[in-house]
Amino acid sequence: MDKNTSILKLKSIQADTNACVTIIENDVKTHEGLLSDMPIALKDNVITKGILTTGGSKLLSNYIPPYSATIVHKIKQAGGIIVAKTSLDELGMGGTGTASFNGIVRNPHDLKRQAGGSSSGSAVVVAAKAVDYAIGSDTGDSVRKPASFVGVVGTKPTYGRISRYGIIPYASSLDHVGYFTSNVSQAARLCDVLSGHDPLDQTSLPYAPTKTLETLSDDVKGKVFGIFEDVIKAISDEETLKNFERLCSALIERGAILKSISMNEDLLRACLPTYYIIANCEATANHSNLTGVNFGLTQSGENVEDIMTQTRTVGFGTLIRKRFIIGSYGLKDENQEKLFRQAQKVRRVVVEEFTKMLNQCDGLLAPATSSCAPLLEGANTNVLSNTHLIAENYMILSNFSGAPSITVPSLPVNGLPHGVNITCKIEDEATMFNMALAIESCVKELL
Amino acid sequence: MDKKTILSLAAELNFSLSEEEVSNIHTEFDSLINLLGLLEKIDTTNVDPMVYPFEMPLTQMREDKVDHEITQSEALMNANVQKEGYVLVPKVVK
Repeated sequence: MDKNTSILKLKSIQADTNACVTIIENDVKTHEGLLSDMPIALKDNVITKGILTTGGSKLLSNYIPPYSATIVHKIKQAGGIIVAKTSLDELGMGGTGTASFNGIVRNPHDLKRQAGGSSSGSAVVVAAKAVDYAIGSDTGDSVRKPASFVGVVGTKPTYGRISRYGIIPYASSLDHVGYFTSNVSQAARLCDVLSGHDPLDQTSLPYAPTKTLETLSDDVKGKVFGIFEDVIKAISDEETLKNFERLCSALIERGAILKSISMNEDLLRACLPTYYIIANCEATANHSNLTGVNFGLTQSGENVEDIMTQTRTVGFGTLIRKRFIIGSYGLKDENQEKLFRQAQKVRRVVVEEFTKMLNQCDGLLAPATSSCAPLLEGANTNVLSNTHLIAENYMILSNFSGAPSITVPSLPVNGLPHGVNITCKIEDEATMFNMALAIESCVKELL
Repeated sequence: MDKKTILSLAAELNFSLSEEEVSNIHTEFDSLINLLGLLEKIDTTNVDPMVYPFEMPLTQMREDKVDHEITQSEALMNANVQKEGYVLVPKVVK
């Protein structure tokens, strides 16, 4: 796809989907490489020198950064052309695409439905075939869930595999750079481009870039697919279950070995509250720098404290302020041990169990979500049900553990896109892409 | 969490909340407490808090030299008011 075609398509879908904050028409190719001439979209929490970077927040709606994220340099060195900054739930905090300062992002397959979040716009621009590559970030499942809802590949490599320097943070111990592509081969290619040690990010893994494209194969003979039984049990949608069975049968036909694997239910049900506490507490601390004094949509005030209060009141949306209240509550002296420290301890117990599960197989497979994308209005959620706590949110296990994880489009549900997710051992992206490619091949045959 | 605590936390966080927002947080907190109750069920005796996903060798200490800098004008370009190379804020002592 060439740059001009991409920009025309981005413009044509904007009114319906609201996928972009900024469409960039003046970037040009500066190098030759694995992404030569490829138009790329960036989630608008990726810092770009001289280009508006809002983080989806009104508070940053006038922010022009003086530097670029490491991944921007890597994309440019690989020959990529930046064509858009995409919409996101404010500061990456949200899973629906409805909490950005610039309005709701809509699913291109059905405008009445969610695109998922927080990397909503990036998911949409790939689904609408306006670009083949779009960067997102994934703190809970912010790449892999929208990928399922809009029918594209959503990848989150190992924690630290891709530099986070220049990415507006949400929760530092959970944040990963992730991305959307049209197929698995492109996902392997982008991993090879974006990975590699970055001295500007202290959590960056000390390794050379991956070479997953060289070993990419859909041969899964003898590979053990762990079937995440607790997720299957928590799903009631018959079409989702039937599709998953068909996919499993197709994998067996290719010589794959399927093995049921489970986790303690109480542990699984504790994952979402663990995430809420850790993520909101870390976010509260991370965003204390958004004062409006040095940058941002500064409001007038009688003194510095007043400027900060006025700016943060006007600049943050209702949802964000609520999350900061929860985070601050969890960090208060009297609650810290009972909530924040307990959540961090539960995280360790959960990760140890999850690692045991991953050690029993080559990759753990389950439907990425319990069904297709929910409607923007009228969706009811029982927050204590296993459907919500497990089937809709189990992918946070990969953020807790740092394990590489990918969502691949599967058979449609209710005529709409739906994906499956596969998670592998830490640093084993090569196996993850191979298993994902086999799934992609199976789905093509089954359609 | 009572409404007074919510307002006190908001003040510490340097933002205001409308009456409606306070009311909504107050109501939603009840269901959040139910959710947080699931955490208490897990036995974490003798378990250390997990701060990062996995133990990582921190061997990548970089040299202490300047190799990544922005100019003063770039550093100030997003400030609302600036004067003589500084960000200007209201006087502290009047």
